[in-house]
Amino acid sequence: MEKVLSKITEVTSDPYAYVAELKERKGKKIIGCFPMHIPEEIIHAADMIPVVIWRSNESVTWGHAHVPPYDCGITRSFVDDAVRGKLNFMDGMVFHVRQCLQVGEFPLIIERNVKPAYMEILYLPPIYQGDPIKSYLLKGLESFKASLEDFSGKKISDDNLKKSIEIYNENSSLLQKVYEIRRDRPGILKAKEVMQIVWSSMLMPKEDHNELLKELLREMEKKTVETKKERIKVIPVGCLCQTLQFDILDMIEDLGMIIPDDDLYVGSRYFANKVRLNGNPIEALADRYLIKTPLCPTKGVWDVHWGDEVIKKLRNNDAKGIISIRVKYCPPHTCYYPDFKSKMIEEGVPEVMIDMEHEVISLEGMKTRLQSFAETMGGV
Amino acid sequence: MDVQYKINRLEATNDIRPMVNRHWAELRTAKERGEKVGWASGPSFMFPYAMGMKCHFMAGYASYCGGIGAANEVLKVAEMTGDLPETCSYHRLHMGMAEAVRKGISIMPEAILPLPDLMVAGRYCTEQSHYAEGLYRRMGIRVVPVELPFVFRKEDRLMIRDFVYRQFKEIVIPTLEEVCGKPFDYDRLSEILSILKKTATIRNKCWEFFKTKPSTWTLWDYAVSMAPVIYMMGDPVGIPFYEKLLKELQDRKEKGIPAMAPEGEKYRIYWDGWIPWAFLGKFMRKFTPNGALCIVGRYPWEMFPHPELLDPEHPVDSVVDYMYGEQAGLAGNMAPKHSIEFIGGLIEEYSIDGLVMFSSKSCRMWNLSYLDVIDTLDKRCGVPGVVIEGDMIDQDMVSDSQIETRLQALFETIDGRRKRK
Repeated sequence: MEKVLSKITEVTSDPYAYVAELKERKGKKIIGCFPMHIPEEIIHAADMIPVVIWRSNESVTWGHAHVPPYDCGITRSFVDDAVRGKLNFMDGMVFHVRQCLQVGEFPLIIERNVKPAYMEILYLPPIYQGDPIKSYLLKGLESFKASLEDFSGKKISDDNLKKSIEIYNENSSLLQKVYEIRRDRPGILKAKEVMQIVWSSMLMPKEDHNELLKELLREMEKKTVETKKERIKVIPVGCLCQTLQFDILDMIEDLGMIIPDDDLYVGSRYFANKVRLNGNPIEALADRYLIKTPLCPTKGVWDVHWGDEVIKKLRNNDAKGIISIRVKYCPPHTCYYPDFKSKMIEEGVPEVMIDMEHEVISLEGMKTRLQSFAETMGGV
Repeated sequence: MDVQYKINRLEATNDIRPMVNRHWAELRTAKERGEKVGWASGPSFMFPYAMGMKCHFMAGYASYCGGIGAANEVLKVAEMTGDLPETCSYHRLHMGMAEAVRKGISIMPEAILPLPDLMVAGRYCTEQSHYAEGLYRRMGIRVVPVELPFVFRKEDRLMIRDFVYRQFKEIVIPTLEEVCGKPFDYDRLSEILSILKKTATIRNKCWEFFKTKPSTWTLWDYAVSMAPVIYMMGDPVGIPFYEKLLKELQDRKEKGIPAMAPEGEKYRIYWDGWIPWAFLGKFMRKFTPNGALCIVGRYPWEMFPHPELLDPEHPVDSVVDYMYGEQAGLAGNMAPKHSIEFIGGLIEEYSIDGLVMFSSKSCRMWNLSYLDVIDTLDKRCGVPGVVIEGDMIDQDMVSDSQIETRLQALFETIDGRRKRK
């Protein structure tokens, strides 16, 4: 297991070097997809490598000549990386500009300062009622496919797209299996290792990642874990389209809590819904996008309460509490949070919110909050 | 000796407050008369109006609360009831007001609106529908959401136009028919647009007086006069109001009375972003002593700038083309790349000396890629700009010294460039 985890750590500890080297090794174009809802399968079917854009570990410097300090961490970090030339290995970038307002910062800044050979804009709609939404979504995805064909010079046949969907579906199944084993044997992997596993899926070619996961699963199935009953199960929840500082996950575990599952994008949400293989593949991708759960506050879902969904997850995992992780200056999460909190109070579910910032986070203050949270649940 | 600048106040704008007060009072009392009530965001309120509903407009309500001094206490209610301070202040304002109604928390009576029978939640800004989602979750208020994307590339316009048209025709109108129990009144929508067309045509004649040097009125004068060309559309009182305003501006021009005494403005300023509704006086006091006059801006120019394109015979197309038409295309000006062309045009047309980009800390809708927009315009038009940070209505987000320092830097830059010419 150490060998696989060490490979995953290598990929995620320096994604810039890894992806740049990958481009050379595979001789394929790299397309950066700003998280969270870009259908990577279509890029894969055009014989290019989609990678999900990430937040760096460095402080924002040049980026502040382009975006204000009250944009969220990944917005500032991505712009900073881009204008410093750290993402020059990307042949293309894709932005879904209706996800949140801040994604709208990118098209001009990128085009004006570091325009890649390919830049595409998607306007995926919120999941509102009525026929216009789906037909508009389909048009948008068809147009995305056409632009990729144009850039790659390769026609994307339905068969090719289905093959890519199959590879991605397999990755989802394998990741789901990792999560199932962790649910049965919490502690088999550290929370940060699980996050790294999902993150590496966003960076690696899915075929390679599938092989890695198969090896990991073989090892996981053999491994036994000593059950520590006194540990309190908690579920981290958030709308962040980025990784969180691994120190936070370590801290949660060091304080006597354990994470059997999560409701995070760089986590269970990334692989939650597979794409059906029958019928028109573009329509199948649209149908996957239109699934309302796991609920994402950026997708305009009215009739499903995020709190209810999270409580279901809490109960399925026999967990005791929720840790809401909010990225500072994330409007979709911030607007939703009061209703989420009310639901937790109404249902008697212990919940605490911690704020995550890109540069400065008071780990000591966070530790105090998490410690008292664990104690109120009867732990530590 | 330094020139002592001061603003010559217009007479006509005194008429606006009673008109606006009447509008909101009628909305407040609508349920007592058995009328249906709507709330709307994005430019979608004309559809409930056409059905005879009394309807609020999200930004209009915020400007009203800012103007009557109610914003602060309503924002405090929102915080008390769980909203986080960095949330969009328009969002917080609505949640605060609704929570005040629900929980019986005392706020200024003029700020209290009846909860709606239907919310037409136009999602123009991506964060704009969150308040409607919240009210649905908390109070079960019925919502009909409409996606209204900004157009980032001209080639996407037609696809988006078709989509928005279909949402109005296939979703919004049938929902209104169901809520009101009668067929949609296309004739009334046409009538509303006819009145708007007349009002905005006169308003455009008033805009011409911003081009005179010195200007005969200020952007703030226009900002407080916008209601008849936006959320009071369809009310014929807007026509005599703008006629009176036009006459006063003509008189001023003939008599040589500038907006800024004693002899007109030293700096002609373009203002970008929201209007700081709760702090108009405060901001004016930062500009006026320096001889700086705000005279034009992208947001105030959003209110039906092309009345000649309004076609009351095709009312739904007209509303959609206001946002997504080839010639007007308001939603295109929201995308930073196209805003550069639009602002560049205003700089030329209104002889602008400097740009002030008002960045709202709780709402980035107007502020996307600001620093790149400024840099591009400076290189293209030779006009410098600064970003000042604050908020439309939340006083806790406005820092005087930061704003003053940056404005001073702008004025010095303009002076420096003038000397070098």
